[in-house]
Amino acid sequence: MKVVVDQGKCVGAGQCVLAADDVFDQRDSDGLVDLLDASPPAERSADVRHAAAVCPASAIVVED
Amino acid sequence: MSTATERLQLPLPRPNVLDLAPLYEVLRREAPIAPVTTPAGDPAWLVTRYEEVRLLLGDKRFGRSHPSPEEASRITTAAVQDGPTGSYETEEADHARMRRLLTPAFSAKRMRMLSDHMERLVEGYIDQLTSSGDVVDLHAGLAYPLPVAMICRLLGVPESDHELFSRLSERMADLTIGAEAHTAREEFFRYMVGLVETKRSSLGEDVISDLVRAQDEDPSFDYAEMVRLCVGLLFAGHETTVNRIGLGTLFLLTERSRWEALVADPDGRVDAVVEEIMRLGAPGDLGLLRYAHEDVDIAGVTIRRGDALVLSINAANRDASVYSDAESFDPDRPERTHLGFGHGAHFCIGASLARTELRVVFAALAKRLPGLRLAKELDQLEVRATLTGGVAELPVTWR
Repeated sequence: MKVVVDQGKCVGAGQCVLAADDVFDQRDSDGLVDLLDASPPAERSADVRHAAAVCPASAIVVED
Repeated sequence: MSTATERLQLPLPRPNVLDLAPLYEVLRREAPIAPVTTPAGDPAWLVTRYEEVRLLLGDKRFGRSHPSPEEASRITTAAVQDGPTGSYETEEADHARMRRLLTPAFSAKRMRMLSDHMERLVEGYIDQLTSSGDVVDLHAGLAYPLPVAMICRLLGVPESDHELFSRLSERMADLTIGAEAHTAREEFFRYMVGLVETKRSSLGEDVISDLVRAQDEDPSFDYAEMVRLCVGLLFAGHETTVNRIGLGTLFLLTERSRWEALVADPDGRVDAVVEEIMRLGAPGDLGLLRYAHEDVDIAGVTIRRGDALVLSINAANRDASVYSDAESFDPDRPERTHLGFGHGAHFCIGASLARTELRVVFAALAKRLPGLRLAKELDQLEVRATLTGGVAELPVTWR
């Protein structure tokens, strides 16, 4: 699984951090998404996909 | 094609504080973007289906400003979400600056770090409630003080001002007092100007201090805009969550099995319960306001530049084409997303704060007061006649 984030689209909602805080964080400077793990293990798939689904700016793309 | 007589009049009458007008189901099916007359008597479009509400919230062709504000449809006579806000020319840049300034202060991680503090506060409120009688008001004793204490701490507002700013908030959002609501908004602005100027000499580590510093350094950041933002944060930072705690309690206590399921496993179930409260809880029943910034064809209608849209989050969150058994309260449902905090660029900046507060409240209530029940029938509860709605009282007992 490969995760791509777009900081240009991100609105800093933090939904992804609540869904999977081992994969996503928010930068202290501006609150925008900080990708901690671009290739999370398969068992994190459900939470990572949930993070992408709830992102209000559609700034997260999950590729298989 | 539509004539004035075909227009539905908002608000749609609802049976009680938990359920919505059955007409929404018909609208979603037959007229997902319907011409309506707002409570203020002006024309607008009511959007009720999940798909279009989500789409429009994320569409930059719609904004909160209006190309000619004096001609814009008014929504209500309250002084919140009643008409256009901000400058048509600079809306996007102003909003981007606002998000940049505020987002770090309300980040998910920072809000989670406040959990312990919230837990201590909630323990204190519950201690106080359980020692003050057999029937107590959970609204005045818990639902209200927690969000007030937290937003005061984050914004740097003296908690001792709470009676003043909550009364002003209530009047600002009142749908029944006409121009008086706007007088309250002016008073709220004067209060905030006083607070800002008092703080200026000793700025601290809080959001209002951050905004004062930012406005001081940025000539394009208008003073009045900064004050409006501070008022908005203080208003939205407590009104909304107070109501959500109240409605959540009602959803859980009006059907015993819901409460018992939470009591059986508070830590394991509270997150899902909070999301379901966010999906179904519908304190105010209008929606989010947007104005079209250009002509747009969507769902079989043509929306003209300048038209007002009322995006019904409540109706979208109960869309049967998205949610199985959409009207029922079911934290175990497979669909985990909702529009309770909005969507797109204006997504609620306080979402993580609200979620953390709701989680702490409902986990603590389930653990400390497993016998909790309503001391009054749902229909007997006083409902507030404000834009943000909710109940004015929440008498409960636990013995």
